[in-house]
Parts: sequence; structure tokens; C-alpha cells
Amino acid sequence: MAGNWLLPAETTSSGRPVLQPGEVESSLQPTVDLVNEENPNLPIFKSGLLILTTYRLLWLPNPESTTSAPTSKAVAVPLAAITHIFQSKKSIKGMFASPRVRFQVSVTPDGRVQERGSKSAVITLVFRGKSDPDSFVGKFYEAWRGRAWVGAVSASSQGESMPVVLGDGGGSSSSDTGFALKMPVVGVSGILRKEQEMWESTDKSLQDAFQDLNALMTKAKDMVILAEKMRQKLLSSSSSSSSSTQTNATNDEEMSSKEEMQEWLLSVGIISPVTKESAGALYHQQLSRQLADFVKIPLEKAGGIMNLIDIYCLFNRARGTELISPDDLLRACSLWEKFNVYVQTTNSLASHSALESRLIKLYLSKSSYYVDFYCSPVMLKKFESGVMVIQNKSHSDEEVFSRIRTLVQKPDALQTGISATDAARMLGIAPAMAKEHLLAAESKGFLCRDVSPDGFRFYINIFQDIDPNDLYLVKEYGIYDAWNRAAIASR
Amino acid sequence: MRRRPGIGGLQTAAAARDQYRLLGENVAKLRTDLMKEQLSTFRSQLEDFARKHKNDIRKNPVFRSQFHEMCAKVGVDPLASNKGFWAELLGIGDFYYELGVQIVDICLATRPHNGGLINLEELCKILSQRRKGAREAVSEDDCLRAISKLKVLGSGFEVITVGKRKLVRSVPTELKKDHNEILELSQAQGFVTVEEVERRLSWSTGRATDALETLLDEGLAMIDDGHRDGKRRYWFPCVSSVSSFVSSETL
Repeated sequence: MAGNWLLPAETTSSGRPVLQPGEVESSLQPTVDLVNEENPNLPIFKSGLLILTTYRLLWLPNPESTTSAPTSKAVAVPLAAITHIFQSKKSIKGMFASPRVRFQVSVTPDGRVQERGSKSAVITLVFRGKSDPDSFVGKFYEAWRGRAWVGAVSASSQGESMPVVLGDGGGSSSSDTGFALKMPVVGVSGILRKEQEMWESTDKSLQDAFQDLNALMTKAKDMVILAEKMRQKLLSSSSSSSSSTQTNATNDEEMSSKEEMQEWLLSVGIISPVTKESAGALYHQQLSRQLADFVKIPLEKAGGIMNLIDIYCLFNRARGTELISPDDLLRACSLWEKFNVYVQTTNSLASHSALESRLIKLYLSKSSYYVDFYCSPVMLKKFESGVMVIQNKSHSDEEVFSRIRTLVQKPDALQTGISATDAARMLGIAPAMAKEHLLAAESKGFLCRDVSPDGFRFYINIFQDIDPNDLYLVKEYGIYDAWNRAAIASR
Repeated sequence: MRRRPGIGGLQTAAAARDQYRLLGENVAKLRTDLMKEQLSTFRSQLEDFARKHKNDIRKNPVFRSQFHEMCAKVGVDPLASNKGFWAELLGIGDFYYELGVQIVDICLATRPHNGGLINLEELCKILSQRRKGAREAVSEDDCLRAISKLKVLGSGFEVITVGKRKLVRSVPTELKKDHNEILELSQAQGFVTVEEVERRLSWSTGRATDALETLLDEGLAMIDDGHRDGKRRYWFPCVSSVSSFVSSETL
């Protein structure tokens, strides 16, 4: 149990933390040690990445360091468990040592960090890198005092109660007859009055919130709920009104605003975008990971391949106001590539099994390479035309080659070969892409080309099956055999 | 309400029901109108804030995420920088980057209808609608400048000229499925004309011409201007052997 005196934290496949709903990232610090002062026997978390969020303090093993054991996992200290943050002492001695931040947490009797633990322990953070602990302490203190995790519980319960209120509102417009009959007559005016009051209060809260920025900041949570309410109502009202008899003009207008809403809903996604301010020197490295996590879903929807510019738009849309420049995006993508290059130079087979990547990792750590090590499932590809795309690795060469191979072994293809157009139709890709794939397959030795007035045609390579010492030997059930049969059948 | 027997009773009940429904409809209508009004205030306020307090919003990560959520829920584009002096002069600042993101967004949204080829004029129009909160109008020149900022990300996004019009192409040849449809179409006769492609696939002229020109450049098509009707024919020898069609035509 010695290793898990801290709570485990989840990470994504590219090594970004998985945040809880409502949790927002505020600062990242590289190479930080996490030490338990009470009990020095407990394992020390050495030079990892420290992430401060509004709920937790996360410590992630540093992928760049060669010293951290591969087994060490990401851990978390819930801010709720922190009972005190010590002021850092300024002394002459402190000038030369790495800056430290100490804080007290409540722990269970057996030493695990927990909210409302009976005992307490002091944890020290040691900042080894060139970082700015002072601003971090400021943010740390702010996040701790902000107590965002308290609001999260009540917000989720509010979220549950809200649909009930909405259900009342929606019910009157969709099933108004039943609603009116059930209510006593005096109730109608009562409902109207209540309605009126509700609108007035909404009006007032809107006015209050938008007085200035500070007012909006304090009221932000209510406003988010209000926005959600409005969206729901608009969506439900326009769907019910489209069935009722209304003039086409207003219908169109409503439909367009509804479309707008839905479209926008799709475009939010990243709650804690990596920014230069929060990540500092780690900016591009963290951005690269966030991007790798982000592109998975759109890539899947697009069939495994996407124009880099489309990704640029979607990624920025998901980041809201935190735009990244095209150059930053390119750099984030090229960090994946850096990893790929290493794989190819260290392992000529270039396959990505878990065992092998561990072997590579071992090799790299021995030769003390400075590598940003994580296995990204996506890659950047540049075509000769200058077009850049992002594609899934699984979508890449191996799979396409195997599909091409089955294609050229069909009886028809054995006789007449396939053209780029055929391949394009079969694989469901553009002819220009198909041609690239065919040429690549040819260079691997799977295909042979035949140039005729009808253009390029590709055939299965049967030279591999022919034994130079015995030219007339036809191996049974080989490709050569299949080709022979097809040739005979066509006669 | 006491239930009365007989046809008269039923009729009264029905009349009452009608009344209630009418009232309910009125209330519902009133409610929608009111809500629309509030929504539009909400929107315009958010737009204002996005423009005025951009830097303050970005400084506070928690508020930033809440602000984004609000914007997303009521349908406000948080990207609303003014062009400003420096952007105009040197092309620096967020303005052109924001515009770039919005342009690609529009291209993505309209792609199902136009196959990734959009008229620059139309693009500008949609863009201005999106940015109706902003005071400055967006010119075609601004669009071109924003698009040129995307050059770093490869040549998948470009402005081409067909006839007198400028078109923005957002799908690179490598990812274009239009060509497949043309090839499919050409299987019947071995050739297609621009008119035929437009009619059969209900594409715009630009889209069809662009796709056929690309196929020509790729070496997949051959043109034949010498036919009796004077229309240019695009032959696709790769689809099926030309000789078989030639022989069948001469026979």
C-alpha cells in the first residue's frame, strides 16, 4: 500500500489528465517532486508534471525524464483534503535550494490522503525546473479558496431538478388541452401570474449579470444554467411549432436558429485548453497530447483521414476563444512525427505492439535520448502535392495494402489488372489517393505495373512465387497457381 | 367542474376545452416571444463582452470555460475581434486567425451541399451574417488574407478562378470523392460532358468543371472537342477500354 498513499488519477492514452465534469485546469509546472514529510519511507514522486486544477492537484510521471520508473502512475491530491497552505519562507538558504511549497492535508490513520481524515500530514512540493513557484502558489491558493468542488455537487443536483421545471413548461405547449382540464379554473390566472413573475426575474438577473465583467463572473454559473434552459426551450418549442400551423416565414427563422444552436453545441469540446499561460514551457508538448486526444473522434467520423486545415478549424472551435496559430498546430503535429522517426530508426519492423514499444523505451532510456515518449495513434502525412492530412495509423499502409492485395487476387483482376480508378471505387477513396497507394504497394513488391494506351494497370506480383531454379514449378494454392487457373479459364 | 349529461353538456365541455386550448396557445406564443427577446439580449450582451473583455476572459480559466459554455448554448460566436489598426496594416493580431477559423467552419458546414467548393462572394455573405454583431464589414480581401494565413497547413485550401468568379476549394484532390461519382457516371458511355454531370448529379457549374479539369490533369481523362454537337466530351479510358467503345460506335 506504500505506493498509493495518494489517490490514483486517470490519464488519456496520450498522457493528458482526465478531468472531472466541471473541473478546469489552471496551471502546469514541469519537474516537480512530491514528498511526504511525515513519513519519508513512503515513495517519493520525483520530477513529474504537476497540474493544478480547480478540484485537484495532479502529479503525472514525466515522460521526458529517463529516471522515472515506467511503473509510476499519475496521482492526485483533492484540494478538498488540504487543510492549510504554508507561506513560503524567504531566507538566504532558500535562495540556493530549489523552491518549495508546503501544504497540510488530512489523512486517514494509515496514512492515505483523504477528505476529512482524522490525522494530518505535510506534503512538500519541490520545484526543480525553471519555473515560477510564486505565481503558482497564488493560483494554488486561489483554487483552494475558490472551493469549486463544493459547487460541483450542488450543481449536479440542480441539473437533475431542472428538467422537471422544464417539463412543466414544455408540457403546457405540447399537451395544452390535458393540462388545462386538470387545473381548476382559478389556477389559470395563477399560472399566468407565476409565468409573468418568472420572466421578470429572468429579465432582472440578465440585467444584473451583464452590468460589468465582475458581475458576470460571479453570476456565471447561474447564467450558464439560464442559457441551457433557453436552449432547451427554444429547441422544444420550435420542434412542436413546426407541426402546428404557423406561417412559413417564422418557421424558417426558427428552424435556422435551431440549426444554429445545434451546430454550436457540437463545437464546444475542450474545457481546459492548453494555453501558453497555463503550460508555459510545456506548451507545445502538452498541446500535442491534447490534439492527439481530440482528433480521435472527428477522424473516426471522417473515415480515418482528414485534411489538416479541417482539424485546425475543429480544434480551434473546441478551444473557444483560445485560438492557436497554424504554426503551433503544425508544431504539435510534428511532435508526433518526432516519435515516429525514433520508432523507425530504432526498430526497422516499425510495428507498435506494447512489448515492442516497451523495448524501444528501454533502449531509449539506456542511450539517454531526450524523447517525448508516448504512442500517438495518429500521424501527420504530407503528400507530394503539398497537401497535409492527419490519419489514423491503423488506417495507414498495412490495412490498405491488405485490401489492395485481396482486390488484385479476384479472378477478373488476375486477368486484366486494376487501375487507380478501380482501386478508388473499391476502397472508397479519391483516385489520386488510390494511385498513391498503388504506387506504394508496387514499391513494396506486392504489385507489378503494366503500361498500355489505356493507362497504368497493376497486377499481382507473381514473381515472388517463381523459383529461379525451377521455373515451371507451380506451387499448389499459391498466387501463381491462382493466376494460372484464371488464365486458363479465360481461354 | 360538474359533469352534465347529454349532448348539450358535451358541447359545453368541448367549447370549454377549445377555450383552454386557445388560452394555452396564446400563453405559449407569448412565452416564446418573450424568450426570444431575452435570448437576443443575452446574445448581444455576450457578443459585447466577448469583444470588450477578451483578455480578461482568457486570464481566468474557470470563467473562460463558463463563458464558452454560455456562448455555445445560446449560439454566440466567441470569436469577435475587431480588425483594428495593426491587423489592417501588418496583418498581425487575432483578427485574421479568427476569420480563418470561421471561414473553414463555413466551408465544413456547407460541404455536404457544394462538395467543398464555395463561391467567395457567398462565403463572404455567410461570414458577415455570422459576424453581424461586429461593427466592421468583412471584405473579400479580408477573406483572402485570412486564407493565406492557412498556407502553413499545406495546400489543401486554395482559391481558384473559374471564369470570372473566385472559388474557394476546401477539399484537396487526395480526399475528394467527387471524382468517383464522375467515373461512376462515365461508365455508361465511356464519356461525360459538363452539362451531363451537372444535370445528373445536380452540381453547380464550377464544381463539375473543377472536378473534370482535375481528372484531366491527373491523366485519367481525355478531351474530345470534335463531336458533331460541339460539346466537349471527357473520355475516361481507364474506366473501360476506349477501343471497345470506338469499335461499337463505328459499327
